[in-house]
Amino acid sequence: MKEGTLSVRKIVLAAVLSAIAILLGWTRLGFIPVPTPAGNATIMHVPAIIGGVMEGGLVGGLVGTLFGLFSFLQATVPMFKDPLVAVLPRILIGVTAWLAYAGLKRVNEYLALVVSAAVGTLTNTIGVLTMAVLRGYMAPGVAWTVGLTHGLPEIVVAAILTVAIVAAWKRVETGRGEAKM
Amino acid sequence: MEDFELLRYVTVGQYLPGDSLVHRLDPRTKLSVFLFLTLAATFSLSYTANAVLVLVTLGLVLLAGIPLRYILSGLRPALPIIIALAILQLLFYGGHYVPYGLESRTLFQWGWIHVTNGSVQLVVVSMLRFVVLLFLTSLLTNTTTLTGLTHGVEAMLRPFARLGVPAHELSLVATVALRFVPLLAEQLEIILKAQASRGASIAHQGKLRFVSTARQVAVLIVPLFVDAFRRAEDLILAMQARCYVGGRGRSSYVHLEFARGDYIAYGAGLLFALAILALRNRFPV
Repeated sequence: MKEGTLSVRKIVLAAVLSAIAILLGWTRLGFIPVPTPAGNATIMHVPAIIGGVMEGGLVGGLVGTLFGLFSFLQATVPMFKDPLVAVLPRILIGVTAWLAYAGLKRVNEYLALVVSAAVGTLTNTIGVLTMAVLRGYMAPGVAWTVGLTHGLPEIVVAAILTVAIVAAWKRVETGRGEAKM
Repeated sequence: MEDFELLRYVTVGQYLPGDSLVHRLDPRTKLSVFLFLTLAATFSLSYTANAVLVLVTLGLVLLAGIPLRYILSGLRPALPIIIALAILQLLFYGGHYVPYGLESRTLFQWGWIHVTNGSVQLVVVSMLRFVVLLFLTSLLTNTTTLTGLTHGVEAMLRPFARLGVPAHELSLVATVALRFVPLLAEQLEIILKAQASRGASIAHQGKLRFVSTARQVAVLIVPLFVDAFRRAEDLILAMQARCYVGGRGRSSYVHLEFARGDYIAYGAGLLFALAILALRNRFPV
């Protein structure tokens, strides 16, 4: 059986992770209230990071793209109703996370997961804020404030979730301690 | 119990059945015109161009028979953020932006606050663009079924297959993703109820305690992911057992065909968008 660039496994995992990203956006479960001007830290980019870590840059990029498209289609804030802000930076989340993971995997699995979560989150935060400044939705000063106050909690939350999810799944997959959840 | 009904308030992206001219267009036409007009709106900086775009898209929304109140109802929860961001934009962006078609003038300055006619233009144009794109997405997603959209995307990507773009596989990703959303929503409700019955509080604890909120979310998210992976493994196994291979030589149950109306709508959309883009530096203000 010959398969193209996208194997069945990659197609299905990209789809399922995108579905989670879409669901997190719809249910507002993807927003965690934090004490900053914009009000919410997001975890909706975590599926893209996990896609990149588990299945490589292509899947990570696909999940990020679908996440970006949906956040554009259902945006209720002018800033995210702009494809250059909502879609473009999101494509890269899974790709940079995958690069970080692939580079550090040999050193230490957990370290690689934490760093790739941080790198993926930073890609999202910096990418979106840079585009927002370039497109005139935010003044540079405001963007710096948002970046610093949001970036840190988002990195922490994303790292915790990525490690928890990948560890939980890998343990289930290898059959050690099959925990029913 | 309302806390457990997760997809109750989703209004964006839902198909509203109807039989208007817009409803009857081929999904490829709608996707293309949507792309053209989105580009035109994204790169227009002047008052006039954006006002013209608002009027045209408003006309299309009325033609499609989508109630305006329905489109705007989704905005209500986001209103405070919209206003807060607009005020920040107005107060702090002044010194960095050269207004389109006008001489830069300072209207108000006090300490850090710096309002110019440029920042006023920026805020107004952002809002107009927002309205245009809101109407456009509503025109696309409220008049086309999701399956129609994915068939349209696949058909539009097919010419790129020669360049190695896996058109069929990409649209399959989108189809499976959309099919999985309600399944996972159901699963999430089950997880929510299970955790709540064990005494876990699922209400947010206020802004200052975001770490504990994040931990509560993890209690929901981790099982959700693990369940999703399980379902994914089952689907992968089922597809591989049936020797699924991608797009080449695969025929489709749905055949999209362009009617006369599609050619007209496609041409009109393309010409209008090109006109806006070509004239974008020539509008008076």
